[in-house]
Formats: sequence, structure tokens, C-alpha cells
Amino acid sequence: MALVQQIQLQGGPGARDRARRAAGSPALRMVGRRLLAAIPVLFGVTLLTYAVFSALPNDTAQAVLGLRASPAQVAALNHTLGLDQPFWVRYGRWLGGVLHGNLGTSLEGQSVNSELATHLPVTLELLAYALVVSLLLAIIVAALAARRPNGIIDRLSLVVSMLGLSAAPYAFAFLLIIVFAVKLGWFPVVSGSLGSSPASWFKALTLPAASIGFPLFAVYTRILRADMVEQMQREDYIVTAKAKGVAPWRVLIKHALRNSMFTLITVVGLNLGTLVGAVAIIETVFSVPGIGNDLLTGISNHDVPLVEGIVLVFALITVLGNLLADLLYAVLDPRIRYGSSTS
Amino acid sequence: MAAPLPEPTTALASTLATAAPPPLPSLITSRRLRSQRLGRALRLWIPAGFLILMLALCFLWPLVYQLPSPTNGNIIQASEPPFSPGHWLGTDQVGVDIFSQIVYGGQEAFEVSVAATLIGIAIGATIGVVAGYFGGWVDAVLSRILDILLAFPALVLALAISEGLGPSKLHLIWALSFFSIPFVGRIARGSTIVLRSAPFMTAARLAGTRGWRIIVRHVLPSIIPAIVTVSLLGVGIVIIVEGALDFLGYGIPPPNPSWGSMIAQGQTVLTAQPEYVLIPSLFLLVTVVALNMLGDALRERWGVQ
Repeated sequence: MALVQQIQLQGGPGARDRARRAAGSPALRMVGRRLLAAIPVLFGVTLLTYAVFSALPNDTAQAVLGLRASPAQVAALNHTLGLDQPFWVRYGRWLGGVLHGNLGTSLEGQSVNSELATHLPVTLELLAYALVVSLLLAIIVAALAARRPNGIIDRLSLVVSMLGLSAAPYAFAFLLIIVFAVKLGWFPVVSGSLGSSPASWFKALTLPAASIGFPLFAVYTRILRADMVEQMQREDYIVTAKAKGVAPWRVLIKHALRNSMFTLITVVGLNLGTLVGAVAIIETVFSVPGIGNDLLTGISNHDVPLVEGIVLVFALITVLGNLLADLLYAVLDPRIRYGSSTS
Repeated sequence: MAAPLPEPTTALASTLATAAPPPLPSLITSRRLRSQRLGRALRLWIPAGFLILMLALCFLWPLVYQLPSPTNGNIIQASEPPFSPGHWLGTDQVGVDIFSQIVYGGQEAFEVSVAATLIGIAIGATIGVVAGYFGGWVDAVLSRILDILLAFPALVLALAISEGLGPSKLHLIWALSFFSIPFVGRIARGSTIVLRSAPFMTAARLAGTRGWRIIVRHVLPSIIPAIVTVSLLGVGIVIIVEGALDFLGYGIPPPNPSWGSMIAQGQTVLTAQPEYVLIPSLFLLVTVVALNMLGDALRERWGVQ
């Protein structure tokens, strides 16, 4: 509805018509419905975070002021921070701020908004780098593996993806550091500053992105390969395509891969939420100035507003990722039309 | 949200009708069949053997052989390389034997992750089965709870619990069980929903069996394969996360050794002695690979999904 109003505000002849058509579009309605359905989940996640931090013994003021602070000073700081109020009052106040676009002030006195504005882009770049590279590699490797099931490439891909599934990201990160940073010296050990040129950005983020991306690559390859092998053996349209003389590569890419993408996209969307942990740990290992790093400092400082802001951002990324996955289904498969009576 | 219980008549009709023709007898030589069987047995027993070996190493070895202390070392024998006399994996910067740290750290890793997964099975499977069996608003509410737990970054929760309550093994176990509860819950719910329309369930209902009895006698035995396979994968994930918490300093309280804290300590001398990081990482990797492969083999054998 907000969209309708926005379009109406632009005014001009025919605007109302356009607005009605936009609001009537099934895809837009689907987006709206999904965003509405995400609200309870976002609400639950932030409430749970607040509840956990309130249930824990709280000595924030003491920690900020130091051990020598008098009880009166501690009480005063608790009052300024609002920590002497019951938990639902604090949550309500925070939620009110969020609805006005204000995520509050962290314990260090900075606004969480500006903290996120400086550190979120780094994390997003890192995530995008890891996701794009691992997806591309997974598609190539899975296609090569599915071309000849039980062939050499296939077995190799199974071994590598089993290793990727089982490796702890932090241990893998150290292996990368030992080989590529210490022995070969290609990349820096610490990615504290990203620099301004694309080359330095690439240098700083490659090892962290590889550490995050390798387990992802393993999951994607395994799932995509299994799906493609099954398609090649079972599906009628594959038989049809082969029978009419389509080249084997074309069958694999245009028929099997295109249909296997659904499974892959679903997994990518679902996996986004579990990336938080990996991002936090890898950013700490490489000292990347992103929000994963902030999250860990926030938790150890009991900095509830900062942690809440970051948790909210990650939950939003997950929700939007899943929504994007649903929209991509429709792009890949013209039969899917959201909102129409047949789907 | 879930589909209503199927009418007994339609369920019966679908059992009486033969849906698919019987599969064609496959043309396969006896030799090929034997090698396939052998391959299947190896896929099961090699990872199982590795796991048994790791468990024996961690739990039986210290009972049989006297190991050096995993917490106190002799500073004169610090930073000895692997294969030195008395310390066959060497010693760390303060002279503590690395092999006994691996053994006792492994004990902690296995105990914590198995306990967390068992809690996950107990709570998660209960939620999942109840949601799947009863459906309706019960399912809607329980599924939303599982959704929120899934969307909630569990590492934040685990860190917050360890940070707020102080590091202790029990807190660590509870924190980690938040990983396995939604994980097991989703699988249990899905498998129960599939079972609900099975003919024997209809038969049990028609015979007048009570709901709880159906769950215990008919549903639980049938979903155990799915839960066991997913739990093996779960133990692997929990061992990795446990290591991550140790690594960040929120896991097994020091001075007790753990694989994650060994990696974290090795980080400080990464350039000079990379083996401090590599040895615990290798044990971690072998354990988790064995768990994952065993889970895969059992899934193949039991035909889960």
C-alpha cells in the first residue's frame, strides 16, 4: 500500500492507473506478503536477543566504570543507560527507535547507525566476494562431475567437498595463512585496512573470503552434483534432448543445470542465516573491520544495542536472501507466476 | 497450516491400488554385485573404524598408559618438535605435552558435543513429532518457534550464555544444544508428516489406539533412522562450533585443554611453529570427516531421503 501512495504522490496523468497496475502485479503482491510474514520472525529474533541479555547477570555499569566505582556512581550510570528499568520497557523503547530508523547508542557512546554505516559495507563486500566465487566454482565443478558420474573429476569433487564440509573455518583460515601469507607471502596476514585501490581490496579480502567460501563451495557442489546426476538419469526431457541429438554438453548445461538451479538457489537462501557465525569468526581471525568483528566485541562488552543492531541486520539479510531466491525461481521457470490461481 | 488428516478411505484405496509397476530386474553380473556390496561395507566401516579409533584414543588410552599432564608442563622441555623422546607430538611453548592435550581435549569435545546433541534430540524430536503429528495450530506455533530458533544466530546465543554465566562445561552444553534443537526438530517434523498418511498409521487409528501410544509405538521407531543420521551430522557441526567457542575463549574453561583453545594458542606462534595449529586441526578434521561419512553411509543403507 505504501508503494501505491508513493506512486500516487508522484502525480501526473495516468499515475493512478500505473499505481493500480503495480499493486495488482502478482509478483509485487508476493513480495509484500513475504515481507509481512518476515515481521514476526524479525520481532522474535530481536526479542529473544534482548531476553537472553536481560536474563544474564548484568554488571555493565560496573564494567564500564571499573572496579573502584562507588555503588552510587554505578546506580547513576545504570539510570542514564536505562538499565534500571524492566526489560520490556527497554525493549519497547529500542523497538520504537528502530521503527523510526534509529538503532540506539552503543555503550561506547557512538550511534549504532553510524557504526553499521562504516562497517556493514565491508562485511557485505566480503560476503558477496565469498558467495559469488564459491557459487561459480561450484557450478563449474558440479557440471564437470555430473558429466561422468564416478569418473575422476567426480570422485575428486566428492573428496574435496567432504573436506570442505568437515573443515572448521578457523582451522582452514590458519592453513591458508600458513601457506599463502607466511610461506608464499602473496597475501597479508591481517586485513585490517582495505586500502582504496581494487588491488589492495582484493589482496586484503581474498583469504577471508576463501575461508568463508570453501565450506559454502563444498555444500553447493555436493547438492548441485547430486541433483544434476539424478536429473541426467531420471528425467524424460533429458532422454528427449539426447534422442533428438543435442550435444551432451548442451544437455548438461541447458537442461540439467537449469533445472538443478532451483535446489541450489533454495540452499543458498537457507544457508545465508548460518553464515553469521563464520563471518564473525573469520573477521576476527583476519581482523577485518566488519560487523562480525563488532558482534564479538559487542557480546564481550554486553553492548546490547550494538549486538541487537547487528543481529537485526543479519536476520534481514537472511529474510531478503530467501525472498530473492523465491523471485529467482520465477525468472528461471516461466511456469511459476506468483499469485495467479494456477500456481 | 498442515494438511488435515487424510480420510481413512483414501489412504486405504491408495494402498490397495498398485501405483507403480515393479522395477525391471537389473542386468548385473555377480562380480559387479559383490564389488558393490564390498564398496558399501567399506563406506560404512572405514569411517566407523576411524571413529572407534578416535574414541578409544581419547577414552581408553589414558586408562592404559600413563600420559604426561595435559595442563602442567616442564618449562625446560618447552617447544620441543614432534617425535622427541617422551613427547611424540612435541610440547607447546610452556612445555605441556601436545599428545595428552589432544587426548584430553578430545574427551571434552566428544562429551560436550554428544551431550548437546542428545539434548537436541530429546527436545527437538519431541517438538518436531508433536508438531508433525497433531498439525493444526499446534504445528503452526511450534513451527514458528523452530523458525525463530533457526533464524536466530545460534553463535550469538552460545556466546552470550557463556559470557554471561561464565565459562563452564554445563553452560557450554546448553548453549550448543540450541544448534541441535531446531536442526533435529525440522527433520522430526518432516518425517512425522510423511508417516501420517502411512497405512499402518491409519490401521492403528482405526484399531482405536490412543494418540500418545501411536506416537511412542509407531511414529518414534519409524523416524529413528532419520534422526540418527541427522544427529551424526549434528555432532560434527557441534564439535566444530565447540571448537569455535574454545577458540574465542568462551568454551571449555581453562586450564583444561581443548582442540579449539590449542588452535587459538598456536595462533601466536603461527610463523615459527605451524604444527601447534596443524595438529589439533588435523584431529578435528579427521573426526568430523568420519562423522559425516558415517552419516552418509547410514543414510544410504537405511534409505533415508
